Amino acid sequence: MQLLRKGRWALLATALFVSTAFSQEKVPLCVSCHGPGGNSATPGTPSIAGQPKLFMENQLVLFREGIRKSPVMTPLMAGISDKEITALSDHFSKQDVRVEKGNLDQKLFSRGRELAGKLKCGICHLSDFSGQKQMPRLAGQREDYLASEMRAYLANQRPDTTMTAALYGVKDDEIRALAHFLSRSAPRPAAKK
Amino acid sequence: MKSLVALAAAAAFTASFAAYGQAKPPPAWHQGKSAKQADSKLAPHPGKMTETPAGEIPISKLKLPRGFKAEVWATGMPGARAMAASEDGKKVYLGTRVIGRVYEVTDNGSSRSVRVLVDKLTQPSGVAMNKGNLYVFAIDKVLRFDNVASNPGAQPVDMTKAFDLPPEQHHNWKYIAFGPDGKLYVPFGAPCNICEPPSKEYAQIRRYNADGSGKEVIATGVRNSVGFDWHPKTKELWFTDHGRDWAGDKGFEDELNRVTKVGANYGFPYCHNNSTPDPDVKKAKACEGVTKPAALMGPHSAVMGIKFYTGKMFPAEYQNTAFVVRKGSWNREKPSGFDMVNVRVSSDGKATIRPFASGWQEGGEGYKFWGRPAYVQQMPDGALLVSDEQLGAIYRISYQKPAAAKK
Repeated sequence: MQLLRKGRWALLATALFVSTAFSQEKVPLCVSCHGPGGNSATPGTPSIAGQPKLFMENQLVLFREGIRKSPVMTPLMAGISDKEITALSDHFSKQDVRVEKGNLDQKLFSRGRELAGKLKCGICHLSDFSGQKQMPRLAGQREDYLASEMRAYLANQRPDTTMTAALYGVKDDEIRALAHFLSRSAPRPAAKK
Repeated sequence: MKSLVALAAAAAFTASFAAYGQAKPPPAWHQGKSAKQADSKLAPHPGKMTETPAGEIPISKLKLPRGFKAEVWATGMPGARAMAASEDGKKVYLGTRVIGRVYEVTDNGSSRSVRVLVDKLTQPSGVAMNKGNLYVFAIDKVLRFDNVASNPGAQPVDMTKAFDLPPEQHHNWKYIAFGPDGKLYVPFGAPCNICEPPSKEYAQIRRYNADGSGKEVIATGVRNSVGFDWHPKTKELWFTDHGRDWAGDKGFEDELNRVTKVGANYGFPYCHNNSTPDPDVKKAKACEGVTKPAALMGPHSAVMGIKFYTGKMFPAEYQNTAFVVRKGSWNREKPSGFDMVNVRVSSDGKATIRPFASGWQEGGEGYKFWGRPAYVQQMPDGALLVSDEQLGAIYRISYQKPAAAKK
């Protein structure tokens, strides 16, 4: 009985190890662009630390399927299983976000905060812009990436038209203010989600 | 090249709106919110795009009338919606929306296998079989796979040009079906929550010959129909229609409609339900000449698939009654729908609703659902298949006469 019990634990430990290794194996590839722990220092490449799990899963599936167009991400996701996508999404959703604090432009920051309130970004992305469910974390995201994504939505270059409609009429200097404010806002720590 | 395509798409999009002088992007789900509702947190529920194994589906929570049984029949089809089956029921094809795939499920007797028949399409939710040929309708594409069940490598015939599809995406994901007249019926939803459609080609149901010729508008004023079937005796078309959002928990209700006259008007956007004018889009005599619904199906309940039952398995009382699936609300504080109801219809077009399958949503107040039923398909043995869009699964509902109670 004792042996059997031990055997069972060993089996469980192996299973846990295998499933972790299974997802961890691709983590170095992810962080080579998205940065240590998923905090990106690469222009044009988003931070994926602390992103909601469902948001990550959806985007990785859409990249794999070629529905969300990316010449970088689609080839990388070719042949990846749903299980691996879930494991990777889970891993990065639990990493803490490092917020860029330098080069703060107080005037731009205040204007962005005011615009985010006016546009009601917090209704879906939550009041601290941590994101939820299928909606991404905006707080602490790279400034350049936030701006380029908002521009892409406005040009109707994303599969989902919800954000295109939400951003309708927002001018480019307003996008710059929003991106500056959001990139310098702190989301809640991963552990408190 | 990619950016060129994107630029062209953006230009086409801008042009399509400039054409009718409305400098706005496609109005999305939150269009029509009143100032009072600006801070509402209600929003469409997120879908799940990854596979759900059978073991993670709490099928025992489904409640059915005595003698009926539900089992998980197939899994591994994220986003599964409408179904079309081969004549022998051995192959079932499923359309999807965002994930862009059409699945083929093969029944091997004791188990099912799944493969992706075609992918990378824009919301290919419409699937229908006609003489062994599978039709697939995406937003911007129509494909036909000839003799698909016996020819697994069938290359699709591109039929897009024959069907004259309008450019807007919103509410233009399709349900399609062939009628008893051999024609293909296709809905074109209003590209908004509530608006005067940008052009005449929206908010209507059309029918075509199987090759796309002979286009005819058979119903107008239809906001967003994603399910229909024909009464087995009268051969009349019955269609489900989603009511407008952002008009409160009580309204407007989704509808079940009957078509008795080609070209009849069902009211959108001016008139809803039993002759109630719209509070936002107004005109004089808003409800004049508008055909009333056969039945109101509940506010925001998201009424989807409908199938008149003609099988031999279920008790005789179900013969020629309709099973109607309600995927469940989002634009409502208190959930509605998340079930499948049975609708009895009379020859004068009256319809009465009674519960049939429920339990996808647990509890009455908050949103605590584990699945969202979408479509119903009758199989050759008389069992029903019900697709679950949330979990990418098909359930089989069968009937066995309960043993007589012991005296």
